[in-house]
Amino acid sequence: MSFSEMTTREAFTLTKQKMVEYQTELLERLNAIEVDAHWFRRVFHTFAASFLFYYLLPDQSWIHIGKIAVPIIIVVVMGVVEYRRLHGDIDHQRFFGLRGYEKRRPASYLYFGVAVLLLFLFFPQQIAVPCILCASFTDPVIGESRYYLGKKKAYLIGFLVSVLFFGLTWYRADWWIIIVISLLGATGAVVGEAKKLRLIDDDFLIQILPAIMVLVLWQGCLLLGIDILPPLMILPLR
Amino acid sequence: MKKDDTRKETIQKLLLRLELWFAPILILVPFFVSFFFLWDWYTRGFSAGSSVYDGELLLGLLTLMGNLMFDIPFLRSIRTLSKKE
Repeated sequence: MSFSEMTTREAFTLTKQKMVEYQTELLERLNAIEVDAHWFRRVFHTFAASFLFYYLLPDQSWIHIGKIAVPIIIVVVMGVVEYRRLHGDIDHQRFFGLRGYEKRRPASYLYFGVAVLLLFLFFPQQIAVPCILCASFTDPVIGESRYYLGKKKAYLIGFLVSVLFFGLTWYRADWWIIIVISLLGATGAVVGEAKKLRLIDDDFLIQILPAIMVLVLWQGCLLLGIDILPPLMILPLR
Repeated sequence: MKKDDTRKETIQKLLLRLELWFAPILILVPFFVSFFFLWDWYTRGFSAGSSVYDGELLLGLLTLMGNLMFDIPFLRSIRTLSKKE
């Protein structure tokens, strides 16, 4: 039957049916993308553990300059991209896996990048490594556990995982230092993850908060004449 | 309206393609890094009888296991999505 042969009611019903079909299909597509974005975000986190390769790079003068300049350039480029996105020059939809609330503020990958940059440039390797591991693994572990076990158990699991990371990376320190650093670092990581601030992302806090806490303790002990920092975990290639 | 819908659909497809392009990097780079840590521990540490490099063994294993844990569901989700598409 062509449109000219239809009554108004039939045309209306047919149009409505077509719209419902289209809406259902679109919703299915959006759901599929959302599921995928979820795992995409998780894998982006675990991928960040690869940044530890940075500490294997040799310390020769020209490489040393690169070790400072390249991370700064990468973060500056990320900042420019985010600036353009927030000013509407780049379509928000072109960024896969962004959350709804990231439409009006810098995306979490920028916070993540800035935190890693600060750790690389201003913190000793012994402090930076467990913090990067926490951002890479504790964050997605808490995210997944929260979904299945609820908030409290998720943070407890996150705390234990962080204790493991700090304990393993400081394994060459004295036993009492390992205990203190593990508890302090894990507390910082979980508080950083749990604290939801409007302007500062948890990807930043989960790295910087434990790093600052451990740094303060290390400096405090240095003032007392005790160096608690263990030997380097990753030795640069020659 | 029609033009807008087509544009949105194109952007969605582009995003999916972009994600599929990213997938090998997100999966292979951490594996490369973890195997490099393990190899470095073996050549500079284990073979030379030095325990100074044991930290790299730990980091290699942590990176490898942590990534495996999340890569499998990620790959599964991509497969499911490809089938739906």
